[in-house]
Amino acid sequence: MDAAEYLDLLLKALLLAGVYAAMAVGMTVVYGVMKIVNLAHAGFLMLGAYFSFELFNRFHINPVLGAVIALPVFFLFGMLVHWLLVRWLPKSDTPTLASLLLMFGFWLVLQNLAYAKWGNDDQSIFTPLTLSAVHIGDTISIPKVNLVVFAAAVFCMVVLQIVFHRSWFGRSMRALIQNPYGAQIVGVDDQRTARLTFGLGTAFAGFAGALLGMLYSFSPDFGRPFLLRSFVIIVLGGLESVSGVALGAIVLAILETFSTVIPFPWYHQGWKTYYLPPSYQPVIPFVLLVVVLVIMPKGLAGLFNRKWKTA
Amino acid sequence: MTLPQNLSGWLKLVLPWLLFVALLLLPVTSPSDNVIRLLFLTAVYSTAGLGWNLLGGMAGQVSFGFAVFFGLGSYTTALLMHAGHSPYFGFVGGAAIAMLASFFIGLPTFRLRGPYFVIATIGVTEAVRVIMNNLEITGGASGYRIIEDKPFNPLEHYYTAIVAVALAVLVSAIIANSKFGLALRAIKQDQDAAADLGVNPYTSKLWIHAIAAGLTGIAGGIYARRAGFFYPGDVFAFQTGINILLIPVIGGVGTIWGPVLGGVIFIIVEETISAKYQDFHLLIYGALLMLIVLVEPGGLIKSKRLWAGMGRLLVGLFTGTTWKALFALLQKLLRKLRFLKPQRIEGKT
Repeated sequence: MDAAEYLDLLLKALLLAGVYAAMAVGMTVVYGVMKIVNLAHAGFLMLGAYFSFELFNRFHINPVLGAVIALPVFFLFGMLVHWLLVRWLPKSDTPTLASLLLMFGFWLVLQNLAYAKWGNDDQSIFTPLTLSAVHIGDTISIPKVNLVVFAAAVFCMVVLQIVFHRSWFGRSMRALIQNPYGAQIVGVDDQRTARLTFGLGTAFAGFAGALLGMLYSFSPDFGRPFLLRSFVIIVLGGLESVSGVALGAIVLAILETFSTVIPFPWYHQGWKTYYLPPSYQPVIPFVLLVVVLVIMPKGLAGLFNRKWKTA
Repeated sequence: MTLPQNLSGWLKLVLPWLLFVALLLLPVTSPSDNVIRLLFLTAVYSTAGLGWNLLGGMAGQVSFGFAVFFGLGSYTTALLMHAGHSPYFGFVGGAAIAMLASFFIGLPTFRLRGPYFVIATIGVTEAVRVIMNNLEITGGASGYRIIEDKPFNPLEHYYTAIVAVALAVLVSAIIANSKFGLALRAIKQDQDAAADLGVNPYTSKLWIHAIAAGLTGIAGGIYARRAGFFYPGDVFAFQTGINILLIPVIGGVGTIWGPVLGGVIFIIVEETISAKYQDFHLLIYGALLMLIVLVEPGGLIKSKRLWAGMGRLLVGLFTGTTWKALFALLQKLLRKLRFLKPQRIEGKT
């Protein structure tokens, strides 16, 4: 492989990282504020994909616009879920078994409802964008749909950053992440903030699901691999930081993309170089997850923080 | 060992043995093959659930990854039987391999706490499944077949499973009453305090993980031998790990008899409701899970309301007021939801 091909892969990895970041950020805010590992995130991703699919099929709405429409709809849906289920959970500083199981149960319910409504078949959203690509030189070609999805994801991340740093809601959210007791003492309404945060997390899940639906085909079990990727990303990012998510997404996307093209030496009747068989590629995120968790439990951000503090 | 001093103590000592003997003698009444099959499945899942309960209930380390041990038990038993060994040697081998795997998994992951550990176990299951799907010596994704050169005897499978569940209950009871069990409960309540009092949390967790894995491996082997055919998407599936976790959660986390009750309920739900409404079986599990978490977090075995309701149902069967009693039970269960209020934050910073 020559340099241009590597550059091509690198560009694709970066574009993928944008969607990954949008996918994981919802989970991060929910974890930060409520200390709930939201397993139902996978269900929301899947619903997001079907939401934009339905809009596209019935009303011929552009899937990107569909993803944007998904934001407010899923925001309300998330608030409803919080009001119905999540607020009954006992509060704690660390995720409890109860919260894990509750969200897992809800994921099962969502998955089953999707099976009942849309069946087991793989669906995909097919637009004129899907098959066209931007060509730079001979080897670099970027599918247009990836570009559009990346732009939408980055735009929403920027909007989230503004909400996070420039609004009362964002400020109370950050306060609750930093110190729940301190925040309550100075008058942050934790229930209300938690409800809005859950709505926000769900909105981003639906949005990211709609974007992922443009890139991949989906079935009601769609969310599972992406749930685990979200875990990897937020763990890499240190679980609670939004900027860490972007970093984690880039690391994961690059590793996944390059895992099958980087040769590694292996002893089998003499030293030779081998490539990782593509069928093993799904293992990468999970191995990365365990390795990262064990080596640096605070994530990449934690590693940097420590370095900065000692320096 | 001291003898119990009162009636309830005697009951606690005698009833399990009575149950065990009754289950052993059951085939005398020549029940249908389906009853035997259901009891077999209940026993297998209860064994795995009891194993999970040792780690998740007593030591408080929630793992989503027990499908790994279940699957390894299945495959090891199958491979050993294929090599010409007795199936019982296969079960022991399955337990040994599962225990070995538990150390490989536990050594890195028990350095993690709380949510990090839970997430890591999910990663481990998925990774193991992908690897098993691609491993050539076990037939990859197309699965593996056990062939025995003798007629199929459901009773033999049944007895194996009953002995396995009895073993699991016995192991649980011994651990619960031992100093080791005390150490595990201390770790569950407060790991740092336990460490200050001289418990080594890391090694304690590793050992209980190994014992739990061994029991789950045996269950996997017994299941695989009866099933005859299995594939990674079945025994290594995330769903299998969830089923193993559901059983103690339904029955009662951290109790000895909870997983057994959970196994019974799980199989009843699996065989009646989900067999009838196949399109909704995930919905049923999900709803059951959510209901138990919200209404009876301690599990059904500790639910006084449920047992009282069951008593009333039994009376209702004789007096013809079953529906009334069922309605009253539902009403009572749901009434709790109304009294639940969002709670204040508890615990330390």
